Amino acid sequence: MDDEQELLRRLRRGDHGALEAVIKLHHAFLVAMAVPLVGPESADDVAQETWLKAFAAFGKFEGRSKLRTWLARIAINEAHAMRRKRGREVSLDGWGVDSGSPISSRFNEQGAWDVPPSQWHHESPEELLTEAELYECIRKHLHKLPSDQQSVVMMRELGGLDYPEIAQALGLAEGNIRVLLHRGRQRMHAMLNHFEEVGTC
Amino acid sequence: MLTCREMSELGSAIIERDLRLSTRWAVFMHLRMCSRCTLYIKQLKLTSEVLQQLPFTDDAVDSQAILKKLQAPDQ
Repeated sequence: MDDEQELLRRLRRGDHGALEAVIKLHHAFLVAMAVPLVGPESADDVAQETWLKAFAAFGKFEGRSKLRTWLARIAINEAHAMRRKRGREVSLDGWGVDSGSPISSRFNEQGAWDVPPSQWHHESPEELLTEAELYECIRKHLHKLPSDQQSVVMMRELGGLDYPEIAQALGLAEGNIRVLLHRGRQRMHAMLNHFEEVGTC
Repeated sequence: MLTCREMSELGSAIIERDLRLSTRWAVFMHLRMCSRCTLYIKQLKLTSEVLQQLPFTDDAVDSQAILKKLQAPDQ
């Protein structure tokens, strides 16, 4: 990601504009990721603490992961620290229960496709993301996912965290994380498939 | 022999190449003769890639205000 490399170069120089730009790019993600960990009232504090730590450490960031992944790891550590300090656990009741396949009605009794997926007009993530309406639709449906699926999709797909990290952060087994991720992907696929079929969200 | 429904359940394990050898063989055999599942798995992978690259900016974020707060934490 050349843009990210350039941004990092500027961040390491302490360029004020780059600091603003990186906050603009990732603050909302950090807040959204922290909400299930510390609650909505403290999620912004976690993001602020993350920036403090990150600004002091950009020089040490080696670029082996995406910047978003590096920030997500700091945010998870900050969320843990905040939970310890405030002596409370976030209750995630009902998280991790498999809601079942969102596409089960698309198969017949023998388990063959009744309503198969359509051919899509877009062939690459870049093509899909250049359509403004589709981008808005993806964001909207990401927020509509059940909270546990949304959280795992955010951490794994957007954040690039690995399964053990996510399992530990959410207090769930890795097996649960894999199921939640699959269900979230299936729902997002169904959304994209609908968009490709009818051309609107 | 895996059914298409079972293939859809294995979708994420397939795109992440996270299958036991015996299942991998069954998946391979199914994909060879089922264009619908081939399409579904390809699209599920594309969905995952879209999410990985999804920008998550929010125009409502006031980065100047956040930066000011960070530079004057006691206020």
